[in-house]
Amino acid sequence: MSTTIAEREVALVDLVDRLLGGGVVIAGDITLAVADVDLVYVQLRALISSVATAEEKGVLPRMGDAL
Amino acid sequence: MIELYAITDNPGPPLPDVAPPLELVPIDGLAAVCTPAADAEVSAATLWRYEEVVEALMADRDLLPVRYGTRLDDERAVARAVNERRDELAAALDRVRGAVELSVRVAAAGTEQASPAAPHTSSGAEYLRLRSRAKASRDRAARALHEPLSALARASVEGRPRPPELFRATYLVERDAVESFAEEVAGLQEANAGLGILCTGPWPPYSFAEP
Amino acid sequence: MRDKLLHAPPDLDPFATDLPRIPDVLNRRVNADPESLEKGLAQLVLTLVELLRQLMERQALRRIDSGGLSDEQEERLGRTFMELDQRMAELREEFGLTEEDLNLDLGPLGRLL
Repeated sequence: MSTTIAEREVALVDLVDRLLGGGVVIAGDITLAVADVDLVYVQLRALISSVATAEEKGVLPRMGDAL
Repeated sequence: MIELYAITDNPGPPLPDVAPPLELVPIDGLAAVCTPAADAEVSAATLWRYEEVVEALMADRDLLPVRYGTRLDDERAVARAVNERRDELAAALDRVRGAVELSVRVAAAGTEQASPAAPHTSSGAEYLRLRSRAKASRDRAARALHEPLSALARASVEGRPRPPELFRATYLVERDAVESFAEEVAGLQEANAGLGILCTGPWPPYSFAEP
Repeated sequence: MRDKLLHAPPDLDPFATDLPRIPDVLNRRVNADPESLEKGLAQLVLTLVELLRQLMERQALRRIDSGGLSDEQEERLGRTFMELDQRMAELREEFGLTEEDLNLDLGPLGRLL
């Protein structure tokens, strides 16, 4: 293998991002193993996603004058 | 238990000869590629082995890679799960047909620190100035790179950079355009000595498999 | 494993900072004991707090850029965020969580942090 350790490390980071954060999500056994917390994560993620989108688009209300 | 690797077309070319032996579960015009699940300890090595299988499949067919660790009871459960989302998955497969994924991450070159120093400043205004400069730095990096690279890609997803990164994005690129994309990255690196650009791939289209 | 690097910069260090946490991420995927569930709840709460902190900080920066605040207000704002940042670090340490643990995946929007 001609790659250096550092090169293998960064490739691993990109790999893990994809394998664990990407790909088709099909209800499977491991995903359900931490069922309750995972379910909340899914809903929380939907909430955060919409808030972050609103923020990026500038539609969140301005901060109050108290500051 | 069955472990899933990818969703692909049915019919398709014969499955590659790999270990563990792969099997195909057909669902209409789609098929799920899987194996009997092994109780392996999760490690970097097992992740690379999983990736090798998906890439062996990708060598001669289009596919949607499945998230690592997806396991179902049996073939019937696999067929049921895929069938539930059959139309979405077929559409996603069409979207990535003939293309692969390339990752781009950018950081400041040299000893320039991009991450904001929080507790060390005593002035609130100084803290905000540092944060503001850090953000401006990230925006500059993004602007310099995202436009030319997006122009070479079918689709792109911008990610939130993880400090000390300034910018990160993933591009869906035609299989035969990977080399020219890499050349463009090399050119952008030359033109931007203050940045360090990392480009990895080609990867199966993990970031474009879900809407 | 085929070489995945299509283009590597001279310094790869900034791109491998996640590496220490990978074993934790991998283990968390297959563990389901009560202890990790409790930690998971703390993680959820702090992630929300971190999200709000970042949103507010970004809005403050925009407000400052548009020139809507006095020097005194800027200073107070900055101190507040600085202290909040410090307090978050302390809370994370209390619960044994890293910054990366609060880096929730927003899907197409990427990660939080």
